[in-house]
Amino acid sequence: MESLLQHFERFSEVLAVSRTTHVRTWDPATVRRALQWARYLRHVHRRFGRHVRIRMALERRLQNQWRLEGGSGSSPVPGLTNFQALERCDLLLSLRLLENQALGDAAYHYLLQELFPGPGVPDADPETLQGSLARLARRRSAVHLLRFSGYGENSVLEEDSVLKTQAELLLARLREVPKAEAEGPSRFLSILWERLPQNNFLKVIAAALLLPPSSPRPQEEELDPGTPKTLADGDQELVRWLLTKSDAMAAFCRNLPAGLLTSVAGRHPELSRVYLGLLADWARHLHYDLQKGIWIGTESQHVPWEELYGKFQSLCQAPPPLKDDVLAALESCKAKDGDFQVRGLSIWTDLLLALGCGS
Amino acid sequence: MAQDSVGFSSDYQFWMQKLSLWDQAFTLETQKDTCLHLPRFQEFLRQMYEVLKEMDSNMIIERFPTIGQLLAKTCWNPFILAFDESQKILLWCLCCLINKEPQNSEELKLNSWTRGLLSHVLSAFKFDTKEVDLFIQGLGYAPADYYPGLLKNMVLSLVSELRENHLNGFNTQRRMAPEKIRFLSQVCVPLVTLPDIQPLVEALLTYHGHEPQEVLWPEFFDAVNEAFLLKKISLPTSAVICLWLRHLPSLEKATLHLFEKLISSERNFLRRIECFLKDSLLPEAACYPAIFRIVDEMFRYALLETDGAPEVLAAIQVFTWCFVEALEKQNKQLKFTLKTYFPYASPSLVMVLLQHPKDIPQKLWHQPLKHISEMLREIVEDQTHGSYGGPFECWFLFIHFGGWADIAAEQLVMSEAEPPEALLWLLAFSHSPRDRSQQRAQTMVEVKAVLSHLKKLLRSPTLSARDLQAAAAESQDRDPRPPSCQQLIRHLLLNFLLWAPGGHAIAREVITLMAPTDELSHEIAGFLDQTLYRWDRLCLEAPRSRKLARELLAELHAHIQHRPAAHGAAVHAAGSPRSRDETMRLIRRGTSSEDEP
Repeated sequence: MESLLQHFERFSEVLAVSRTTHVRTWDPATVRRALQWARYLRHVHRRFGRHVRIRMALERRLQNQWRLEGGSGSSPVPGLTNFQALERCDLLLSLRLLENQALGDAAYHYLLQELFPGPGVPDADPETLQGSLARLARRRSAVHLLRFSGYGENSVLEEDSVLKTQAELLLARLREVPKAEAEGPSRFLSILWERLPQNNFLKVIAAALLLPPSSPRPQEEELDPGTPKTLADGDQELVRWLLTKSDAMAAFCRNLPAGLLTSVAGRHPELSRVYLGLLADWARHLHYDLQKGIWIGTESQHVPWEELYGKFQSLCQAPPPLKDDVLAALESCKAKDGDFQVRGLSIWTDLLLALGCGS
Repeated sequence: MAQDSVGFSSDYQFWMQKLSLWDQAFTLETQKDTCLHLPRFQEFLRQMYEVLKEMDSNMIIERFPTIGQLLAKTCWNPFILAFDESQKILLWCLCCLINKEPQNSEELKLNSWTRGLLSHVLSAFKFDTKEVDLFIQGLGYAPADYYPGLLKNMVLSLVSELRENHLNGFNTQRRMAPEKIRFLSQVCVPLVTLPDIQPLVEALLTYHGHEPQEVLWPEFFDAVNEAFLLKKISLPTSAVICLWLRHLPSLEKATLHLFEKLISSERNFLRRIECFLKDSLLPEAACYPAIFRIVDEMFRYALLETDGAPEVLAAIQVFTWCFVEALEKQNKQLKFTLKTYFPYASPSLVMVLLQHPKDIPQKLWHQPLKHISEMLREIVEDQTHGSYGGPFECWFLFIHFGGWADIAAEQLVMSEAEPPEALLWLLAFSHSPRDRSQQRAQTMVEVKAVLSHLKKLLRSPTLSARDLQAAAAESQDRDPRPPSCQQLIRHLLLNFLLWAPGGHAIAREVITLMAPTDELSHEIAGFLDQTLYRWDRLCLEAPRSRKLARELLAELHAHIQHRPAAHGAAVHAAGSPRSRDETMRLIRRGTSSEDEP
C-alpha cells in the first residue's frame, strides 16, 4: 500500500515536470519509465476500482496535494485529483510530452514509437493510447467543422456551448476540492477569482448556476458511507462563495447582461435578494439634475440610469415570484422615500413610472 | 513492384493536385469535392504509410521531395482529419519522418517542422479565446478534457435548434435557414461514424422542414446509409426509415446489401435468413407502402433474373412473414389499405392469403386452400381479368405466401380421401406457373396417380423403399415428366416419408435413391429446412416427424460439407448451377444504383 502511494506521488511529480523544460534531460529510457508508471497506475485504476479502502486512502493522499493557501504561484489543483484521474494519466502524460518542444529528438522518437505503433498491433488494452489520441484529433476537427458550418452568423449559440462546457468543468472541479475543512471550495474559488480573467469567470459562474440540476453521479454511490463529506452540489458552493465575496458579487451584478442576471436570480432566491440590495444601493448614489432633467451619478463608477433601468426592466419581465418581489421592493423603497408621485424627487418613483408599473 | 510504384507515383501526383485545389479555396464546391474523395484519399494514405515505413527520413525526402507540402496540406484540412481513421494514418506517416539522431541542421529543421505538424494534428484548430484557455488551465484541465465536452454541448444545441425549428414552423425568426441545414448535412459526412455526432445525424434525418425540395445533401444520406449497413453507426429504426423514405438510392443499396447476405449465407437455413431480414430493418420499414413496393420490385426482379432461384423464393417468403408480423405490431399507428401494398392484386385474394393458418383449426385448412385455388384459377384462366395481371403476377403474389402450397402438399399426402381438384391445381400452379392448361392438366393427372399409389402404401406394414420408388415411377408410355413436375413428386414423397408411420424406417434409403446429385441434395435439404421452419411458425407438434426431419437434415448437411465442389452454387430451376457472384450481378443490373467498381 505504501509503495503504491509513493508511486502515486512520484508520478504526480513526473506529470508536473513533463510540462517544463526539465525534460531536456530525458532520454528514451526515462520516457519509457514514465510511460510504464502511467500504465501501471492505469492498471491500478482498473484493478482497484471497486476496492473502496484503497481508493479512499489514495484520494486522501491526493487531497493533501491541493494548494489552497493563497499567494503560492503554482496552480491550486494537483496533477491528479482523484481516483478517476488514474484512468487517463497516460493520455495526459503523452499529450504533455508531445507538446513539449524541449524534449530531445531521441526521446521524442521513442515516445512516438510507443504511442503510434501502427496498424496490426494486437492491443491488450481495448482503449489504446493510439485510439484515444486519434479520437481526440477527430473530435477537435469535428468541433471546428460544426462551428464553421453550424453557426456562422449565430455566434450566440456557439458562445453558449463554450460557456456551458466551462461551467460543467468548473462544477466537476468543485466536487473534487477537499471539503474536509468545508472552506476548501470557497478558498479555491477565491484563488480562481484572483488569477483568471474575471469577466469570463463571472459568465461561467452564471452559466453554472443555470445548468439543469444534475442527476446523482454513479461514483457517489461507491463512496464509503462513513466519510464526513457533505455532498453539497457545486452550484450551492458557488452561491455561498458569491454571498461571502462582495467584490465578486458586485462585479457579477454589474457586468453581466440583464437577462442573464434575471435568470440567475429566478433560480437562486438568496442571490436575488443580494442583487436587489445592490441595485438599491446603486440607485441611491444617483441624484436628479434639474437642468438636464435626468438622474446622474457624481462619480464615474456610479451606475448610470440606463443600466439600472435596463436591469429593473428585465427583472419585471421575469415570472413570479421574482417579479412580484421586485415590484414589492420598489414600492417599499418608494414609500420610504416619501411616496412622491411627481418625477424628479425620488428615483424610485421615476423608476416605477418608467417601468409602467407606477401607481 | 515496379508497376506498383508507377501506379503510386501517379496517384501521388493526382492527390497533390487535389489537395492544392482544396487548399486554395474554401468554397462549397471544393468542400463537396473533398467529401466525395475522402474514402479514396484514406486508402491512398494507407498505401503511402506502407511505402514510407520502409524508409528512413532522408530516403523519404529524396524519393518524395514534395511530401512536406502534401502532408502539410492534409494536416490543415479539417474534413480529412475528421474522417474515419485518416487522422491516425496521417500521424503514422508523420512519425516516419522523425529522425532519431539528426546529424545536421537540415535534419534538425525537418524534425522540428514535423513535430510542429504532429502537434498541430493533435491540437488542431484552436479557436478559443485566450480567456477560455486560461480558464481551462487555471482549473487544472487540459484540452483533452475540454473538447469532448464542448463537442457534446455543440451537438446538443444544434439538435435542439433543429427540433425547435420543426415545432416553430412559422416563426421565421427562429428558423434555421435551409442553406445552413444543408451545410450541416455536408459537414456531417466525414463525421458520420463518430459516436458523438450520432444525435445530430438522427435529428437531421428526422427533420421535416417546410421547403418543397429536399434540403439535405444527397451524399449525406449515402454516407449515413453506408455507415448503417456496415454497422458503424447505431440509429433508431425511425431514423433509418426516414433515411430510406427520403433517399431512394439508399433504400436500393440496403436491399442489395441484404440480397448479398442472403445469397452468400449458408443455404437452407431459413432461421438465419429471418435473422438477417430482421436485422436489416427492411420488414419494419416495409410497413410504409412506398418502401414495400420498391423492395418487392427488387425481389421480383431478382426472381426473374435468376429464373426462380430457390434462395430468392425462400427469401421472399420469409420477408413476407416478417413483414406481416411487423404490420400487425404497427397496426395502431399506420393504417394503409391492402391495396396500397398490392395494387395489382385482387383484394379478396390478398385477404385470404394473409390469413394465418394458426388462426384456423387444422381440420379446416382445406377451406382457405380451396378458396385460394379457385380465385387464382379464375384469374389465371380467365383472359379478360387483365387488371389483375397475367399468370406471373398471380404466381408472384402467391409465392409471397408460399406456405400455403406446402400445406396443400401435406394435406394431399396425409388425407385418405380423394385428392380435391382445387389442391391439385394449386400445387401444379405453384411449381410451374407458365404451363398451359394442357400441361397443367397432365401434371395433375400424374400427381393424382402417384397420390393414389401412396395412399395404398400409407397403411402398409411392410413398406419398402422399392415400393415407394415404384409408386413414383414414371409410366413408360407417356412423355417424360418435366423437371418441375419431378420436383413436385419428390416433395410429395418426402412428405410421405415424414408422415407415414412406416416412412421413418425407409427414409434414408429412399433419399439415397432419390438424390444422386448434389443439386438434389441441396433441394431436399431446402425442403426439410423449410418444412421445419413452417412447423415452428405454426406451432405444429408432431414430435416424431420433427425428429426425423431434423436428423435427415443434419445428415444431408454433413454429406454436402464433404463435397466442397457443391459450395457456392445457386441452383437454376432447370438444374444447372450458377455462381453467387453471377447471381448478384444479374440482380444489380436492374437497379438504379450501380456500385462503383
